[in-house]
Amino acid sequence: MDSMVITSLTVSLIAILVIFTVLVILIYTIKLLVHFIPYEEPPTQKSTSAALPKTSPSSVSPDIISAITAVMATHLGKSPQEFHINQINPK
Amino acid sequence: MELTFGSAATKIIGSTGFSSLTIGDGTMILVACVLLYLAIWKKFEPLLLLPIGFGCLLANLPLSMMASTDSGGLLNFFYQGVKHEILPPLVFLGVGALTDFGPLLANPSTLLLGAAAQIGVYTTLVGAVFLGFDLKEASAIGIIGGADGPTSIFIASKLAPHLLAPIAVAAYSYMSLVPLIQPPIMRWLTTAEERKIKMEQLKPISQTVKIIFPIVVTIVCCLMLPGVTPLLGMLMLGNLFRESGVTARLHETAETHLINIVTILLALAVGSSMTADSFLRLETIKIIILGLLAFCMATAGGVIFAKIMSKLSGGKINPLIGSAGVSAVPMAARVSQRVGAEEDQTNFLLMHAMGPNVAGVIGSAVAAGVFISLFGDPTGGSTHAEVATNLISTMSASLK
Repeated sequence: MDSMVITSLTVSLIAILVIFTVLVILIYTIKLLVHFIPYEEPPTQKSTSAALPKTSPSSVSPDIISAITAVMATHLGKSPQEFHINQINPK
Repeated sequence: MELTFGSAATKIIGSTGFSSLTIGDGTMILVACVLLYLAIWKKFEPLLLLPIGFGCLLANLPLSMMASTDSGGLLNFFYQGVKHEILPPLVFLGVGALTDFGPLLANPSTLLLGAAAQIGVYTTLVGAVFLGFDLKEASAIGIIGGADGPTSIFIASKLAPHLLAPIAVAAYSYMSLVPLIQPPIMRWLTTAEERKIKMEQLKPISQTVKIIFPIVVTIVCCLMLPGVTPLLGMLMLGNLFRESGVTARLHETAETHLINIVTILLALAVGSSMTADSFLRLETIKIIILGLLAFCMATAGGVIFAKIMSKLSGGKINPLIGSAGVSAVPMAARVSQRVGAEEDQTNFLLMHAMGPNVAGVIGSAVAAGVFISLFGDPTGGSTHAEVATNLISTMSASLK
């Protein structure tokens, strides 16, 4: 019985050492991961119109605006008075 | 074949379960009713104790062929999932899908609390040897201190299958009693000032780290302790389903339907192993006592280690979160929160306690891996081919 108890104590000691070793390895692994891959705030959702550089229609030639309006009216099947071009984003 | 009224009546009476009912069966039916009472009316871990209790009831109805040992019986087939270590890892898959390792990753030093709480496992191991169990049996009993049902069943089925029923019942019963067992120990080991310590808010963690973590844990732990791969591997796979963001359907299935189905099969299988022969023994009483010791020592180990960490960190850690290192997710973390809130209503410890709580799951799995490395066959004993052959022969025998 005594030898069994001593064996169980030895087993317990070894097991605790192994557990702490494994978990300490994990702790440092996590610390490394967190260090090299820091948290970044997710980009705030911006509306497409806000993200795009605004160009005043007035800075674009009226001929171009007329041409675009005509093509859009044909494409949409609407009268040019039914819609209004607010901005043009040149590439 | 001619039957007279008398012979027919005699035959029918002889075929009823009443004719074969023994005192042992009757006692076990009573035990089953107690478990059902605790589950339904006292709400002690009902998701598990109810099917365990009902499995026990079915297994002890004479001539019903529902015990785990009744070859060809329904629950014997369910029991193959325990015997061949299929069901506990599947429960772990669901647990992984349900677990957020974020609090642990935000404060990785709490992993040490998950390790410290395993002290309960080893004090119980020594106690079990002292009470006359051999080392394999003592290891299976000691793991009750990990407060992790699937791990207890996994280790018991591997190292001491004849003790599976009392170990499983003790593990789940004490898990349900965590809110009663832990608070007095926590209060006894801490001062009011320590219980009032407010911890800093946890830092947010990158999603990439959350994805890499289960892969790294699998590689590190399973290389060091291969015997624990079925449990830890499934736990981490479930977590990868959750965090990867590309397997929404698998994640949803694992955390709901799969874990529910497997829980039913596992609990019924465990209940079916609670026959009079295996349960009504002196060893059962010893295991119930040792199980209580395991839970108390695990709680004390976690709290004492957290006190040490608190002192070393200059009072930045509330020692109450140490008790959550005993696994039992998330009940143990809720107990830390509740005991902390008793001292200061504005102290929110829940998320801080979730770190050691999920660390306890990893810690108990690692403790199981150490036992398998020392006393079990890390390769699992039998090959899959042997398992399949055994299943086919069992099924053939039942069909004949």
